[in-house]
Amino acid sequence: MILGRLTYGLLLVAVLSGLALAPFWSAARPLESLETLNGATPWGFWLRGVHALSSWGFLLGTLAHLVEVLWKKTDGRLSPGVWWRSVALLPVSILALLGGFLMRGDAEAQAGLAVWREVSASIPFAGRALAALLLGVPGSDLAPVALHHAGTFTLLAWLLTAEHGRALAPDLRSTVLAALGSFAAAGLLPVSLGPAVAPAGALLLGPWYLLGLQGALLHLPVVAGWLLPLLLLAVVGLVRHVDGRWRTTLLAVAAAWSAGYLAFTVRLLLAAR
Amino acid sequence: MFRTRTLVALLLLALAGLLAALGREGQRETTLGRGPDRAGGKVERCVTCHVRPEEDPGGAHARAAVGCSSCHLGNELAFDKARAHAGMEAEPGALRTVSRTCGRAGCHVREAQRVATSLMARASGIVSVDRWVFGEIPQPRGAATMRETLAKADPSPAERHLGKLCAGCHLHALRGNRDDAIHGNGSGCSSCHVARRLPGAVPRPHPAVDARVTDDRCLGCHSRSGRIALTYEGLYEVEKDQAGACGDAATTLHDGRPACRAEADVHRLAGLSCVDCHLHTDLMGDGREWEHEEDQVEITCEACHGPVRGGSAGTETTWGEVTDPISRDLLRQRGETRPPEEHVRLGRRGTPVWNLRPSGDGWVTFRKGQGVALATKQTPIDANHVLPGHERLTCSSCHAAWAPTCSTCHTAFDASGKQWDFAKAVETPGRWVETSEGYAARPPALAVRADGRIAPAMPGMVMDLDATSAGGPRASRRLFASLDPHSTGKKARSCESCHLSSWALGLGTGTLDLSGAEPAFTPPAPAAEDARMASDAWTHLDAEHPGAGTRVDLRSLDAKELRRTLAVGACLPCHRDGRDPVYRDFEQAKSRLAAGGTRCAFGNRGG
Repeated sequence: MILGRLTYGLLLVAVLSGLALAPFWSAARPLESLETLNGATPWGFWLRGVHALSSWGFLLGTLAHLVEVLWKKTDGRLSPGVWWRSVALLPVSILALLGGFLMRGDAEAQAGLAVWREVSASIPFAGRALAALLLGVPGSDLAPVALHHAGTFTLLAWLLTAEHGRALAPDLRSTVLAALGSFAAAGLLPVSLGPAVAPAGALLLGPWYLLGLQGALLHLPVVAGWLLPLLLLAVVGLVRHVDGRWRTTLLAVAAAWSAGYLAFTVRLLLAAR
Repeated sequence: MFRTRTLVALLLLALAGLLAALGREGQRETTLGRGPDRAGGKVERCVTCHVRPEEDPGGAHARAAVGCSSCHLGNELAFDKARAHAGMEAEPGALRTVSRTCGRAGCHVREAQRVATSLMARASGIVSVDRWVFGEIPQPRGAATMRETLAKADPSPAERHLGKLCAGCHLHALRGNRDDAIHGNGSGCSSCHVARRLPGAVPRPHPAVDARVTDDRCLGCHSRSGRIALTYEGLYEVEKDQAGACGDAATTLHDGRPACRAEADVHRLAGLSCVDCHLHTDLMGDGREWEHEEDQVEITCEACHGPVRGGSAGTETTWGEVTDPISRDLLRQRGETRPPEEHVRLGRRGTPVWNLRPSGDGWVTFRKGQGVALATKQTPIDANHVLPGHERLTCSSCHAAWAPTCSTCHTAFDASGKQWDFAKAVETPGRWVETSEGYAARPPALAVRADGRIAPAMPGMVMDLDATSAGGPRASRRLFASLDPHSTGKKARSCESCHLSSWALGLGTGTLDLSGAEPAFTPPAPAAEDARMASDAWTHLDAEHPGAGTRVDLRSLDAKELRRTLAVGACLPCHRDGRDPVYRDFEQAKSRLAAGGTRCAFGNRGG
């Protein structure tokens, strides 16, 4: 499918641009290094834009491709194992992107880190250890976050994508198109950093793709931070195994979940105005 | 498969994107500051652009020492102007952000916390007295602050009055929403600690930020209400049509108000500024939420000039016993030390007067600004200071030479008018109109405070209030306020200026007749509500209750005290000297007079 291939191309652009950015970023002084990249490094803002926008494009492409697969009922072409691992690509992509967001080190990223630490810690038994493993201990620098952003989750995303697309790398044409699209977007849509210090009384927003979850967490207990996404993944994963009314029911649940997520997103944005 | 047309379209789009990025890159390059990017031992990219020497406040707050963002906030890591200035505090020191500026960790945490509780920030005294005068609370006391008052969605008539006339001076007032008298001052801490920027002045270097507060910073706020800062300078405000009567003494205040010159306070003439006498707890508070100014102020005349009548007021200790950390910090910052055995005088609650030092047999006061030492005379134990019958007098009741007065204030609300509203920082409908028949400067009247001591007083609110259009009362008030007017003279006022002055005794302007058995008073302009009373009086000779003041239990002399005082007045034309034997035991002298056992030509007048 064209969308799937283009998405794979965007992943490659994100990885390459990320490698180009790595020397400019400091785990001990994340915001300072990114301000330097944006403000004092020739073409630094553009390179960061290419990385951010290609990554967002990868996530959007993955989501759109999933909807396309479910709509066209082509999920049955994948073996159950591959299907479940392909579904897992969604949270892996989000975790990879979330790591990038946290690596900004600005006020929004610091708040996001605190929220994510709490959400991880609320997972029974292994939560605290998992939080320390993925995010480091409180007060440490962002090196663990960067390691999992550039290493664990990117590698996982690549492996899952490669298995799903049955290709170790995207084809040249998709890569060129993804690169051209990212270059254009990075020039036309500058990607800004958040405030250095939280403005008094203002609501800090997390990454755009998690606004619905942030909005829900204003009203729900912290365990909803991992239970709600897990519910969606289970529902989507099970679609591959059922037909007829059950499939329709599961898809309706997924659609309702998405509508609720969108509603929480809108509500949060209105509250932040 | 992807079509070639898609590829070409994306290629063109990418080209457009790259061109846009090229433009942004060029802009970034040209707007990039060229200065150093470190200050105060940290990354401070503000100074890549703000490189001009005149942008440096110097001193302890020099750009190189603390950078810009320590006080101005913003984003010191950014190179881009918009990002660097996002979240900036335009008025560093403003109480809204003080915990992140002056009061940030490692700087002035303690002082910033105190200032927030001080009366200059809370103005609770002004709020409670105003609300009491409007009949909204039963007593002139309360903890409500000016900030809370201004935040009210549905303010009462008194709160609207405060919001339009009185709220322009507290420390929360921000630039552009202040009383005319303090335009040019900073906000919060900067109101006192940053040099003033005068209206209309050309842009000037970054003002100095320091602990040496000059009088011009106090003058703005304290040229209103009791006007102590004006009195200290030897100035009193007048109405425009009165200025001519001052002749050569006419002048204009910093904010354009007409004024006349009078004798300045003796401390001012000696070169002492406000902060030379007032302790840090007087000005920044001590962390407690006092209701009125006289509660917060610690300094006393006795702290410097010693106790009256040779007694010990418990106002002295040695530096070894001093625990006040701020005074110790002030000395350290100035590179001064005090031996533990050195004696030091204290304010009412034990704060040391650190610029007053023992010298030989006496004491010297150091002017904080210049370090000049001034011999500080101790109160002598002489006839004038141990006069029987004067035990209750405060120093200022005799040494306050004059006070500004306004005995005819008419305040009305004009619903059809418009006026600046400090609560909303815009002009809003409704206007409070104040008129008077003019100001004057005269020796203060005498009041009896809640603690029983006699102190100077001046008309605080002798007024006709018509707040009916604002939903408030129509009322007449005859209230005097007691305060030290800051017109201290080396020479005390004369005996006659109290014992034979109807004004000093609170009777107002008129003629006293002490020739009969009972004193008599004739006002040329009787008050509308009582013909026995002068229109500018506080009380009258036969008042059942003494006149009320702007504090709980502050009052005029009562009928008995008035007669006792006037009885001395009757003797003064002949017995002018306080050392005269007749005053040694005045009650006995009166008894002898009543029994006819004297040669006094004044006659038998009884007690």
